[in-house]
Amino acid sequence: MIQVQNLSKHFSVRNPQKGNFSLLKNFVSRDSRILKAVDDVSFKVNRGEIVGYLGPNGAGKSTTIKMLTGLLVPTSGHLEVNGFVPWKSRQAYVSRIGAVFGQRSTLWWDLPVIESLELLQFIYKIPSATFKQNLEHFTKILGLDEFLNSPARSLSLGQRMRADLCAALLHNPDLLFLDEPTIGLDVVAKERIREFILHINATQETTVVLTTHDLADVQKLCKRAMIIDHGKLLFDGALETLQTRFGGLRQLVVDFALPYADLEVEGANLVSRDGNRAVYAFSREQLSASELIRRLSERFSIQDISVLEPDIEATIRLIYEQNLLGAT
Amino acid sequence: MTYRAATVAGLTTNIFFGLLRASVLLALLNAQRVNGWDSNDAVTYVVLTQAIMMFVSIFGWTDLMNAVYRGEIATDLLRPMGLFGFWFAQDVGRALAALLLRGVTILVISSLLFHIKIPSSVAQFLALLLSMLLALTISFAIRFIYNLSAFWSPDARGFARFVSVIGTFASGFLMPLRFFPDWMQQILNFTPFPHIMNTIIEIYVGSISGNQVLEALLVQTLWAALLVVLAQIILSRASKRLVILGG
Repeated sequence: MIQVQNLSKHFSVRNPQKGNFSLLKNFVSRDSRILKAVDDVSFKVNRGEIVGYLGPNGAGKSTTIKMLTGLLVPTSGHLEVNGFVPWKSRQAYVSRIGAVFGQRSTLWWDLPVIESLELLQFIYKIPSATFKQNLEHFTKILGLDEFLNSPARSLSLGQRMRADLCAALLHNPDLLFLDEPTIGLDVVAKERIREFILHINATQETTVVLTTHDLADVQKLCKRAMIIDHGKLLFDGALETLQTRFGGLRQLVVDFALPYADLEVEGANLVSRDGNRAVYAFSREQLSASELIRRLSERFSIQDISVLEPDIEATIRLIYEQNLLGAT
Repeated sequence: MTYRAATVAGLTTNIFFGLLRASVLLALLNAQRVNGWDSNDAVTYVVLTQAIMMFVSIFGWTDLMNAVYRGEIATDLLRPMGLFGFWFAQDVGRALAALLLRGVTILVISSLLFHIKIPSSVAQFLALLLSMLLALTISFAIRFIYNLSAFWSPDARGFARFVSVIGTFASGFLMPLRFFPDWMQQILNFTPFPHIMNTIIEIYVGSISGNQVLEALLVQTLWAALLVVLAQIILSRASKRLVILGG
């Protein structure tokens, strides 16, 4: 479906001039450096896969997505999606893909949602039977009924995102790009959107490329993850591998009923203590959470307890800082 | 309608400035004929320019430029359609709304206050409609081109304003072009600007007729075709150097 070989995108960035008359210097300065937003990235995505594309802010995620969707022209490298070179045949290509950018809407601000969707039917030349069937189907799963006749400007964020998802899929695209589709949504709305993505992927074999900062999105949706930072692809493989190999340490936060003197327990490190609250770090392979809790409750009286999974940002930072993958 | 108040406010401003401009022009003419126009022609000129100025966006337009700066252009590029056609379709909608809501109202209200000429034959009326369509195409193509400069410059608003100001003057909006000296009219005839407004005025007032109208429409068509092709060429260059900001 997607083939990417040695793909790079470099931007030329002006170096700001400092000191006296900096405004004037900035104006005449030709002093610039090259920013490697995406640097020599290669990967393949097969039909029907859901791939999580992860990385901290500014890592090069969006730049890659923009090249994959034909918005940006690569500096070098080869890029082929579904038999198209995206930026060369933009119009033909984008009629076969769908995209949702969490921060932007494809709906027309002043138009009722249904009219935006009908306009898209015209733009994508969707046969009316397909349009009607898809609209009915998506309206039911996403619960669009309540606001189908309201203008887009009056929708809540969750409603807007659902309408945007519907808009991106009306033309049965082979490939769907989701750039932070759950950003800013509450738990229920997130869950609904995830269910929908899984449903579409299962029923229509739609390939999905997803960027997110929400680990739950990735865990729920993706079997495969790719991690990018500073423009370089650091990891590409099964999500489980990522978590077991680099998952970092889980944390157990315990509130004790009594002020104990010695809180050390076998198999876990006491990271910090503050009054009756203590935080332990333990690794997934060596000790299960239930075993640790058992060991603790044998010796202490416990009031409250919670387990913290390492978040994806921390995992990525860990991978990058410690260069766990070698010099790739 | 959500924007009723905005329409009424705009209309009030339109009519106020129309009255102001008509009074100034009448005072200047002082019941004399100037270059073939009498005071009746002059008042009709003022009312007509007030009625169609929003139709042809005489004061300029930067929506496309703003979409580029805000990164919203990405949404448009993700759809299987040409940018020119998409934005032109939207502008035609905007222009028609401006013409029907504001233009017609201004004509009606003004005709109660002044004696205003109206097209006297079907042929003249059809020529007028065609001329207005071509004027909108030319106006849009020019606006589209200067908006595309946003792909090259991080702030092209100054350039847009510069072209708009030239446009208000050279299209005959500030003062009828036939009041200008001959040499200046000749220079302006080498630019597309008179075809945004002056041609419409001349046809409406009836200062040109017969073959002169056909000739004017032909020149207008050529300018429209030339500018649309130019816009497409510049657009294909612009999209190669696109930098989507943000997100």
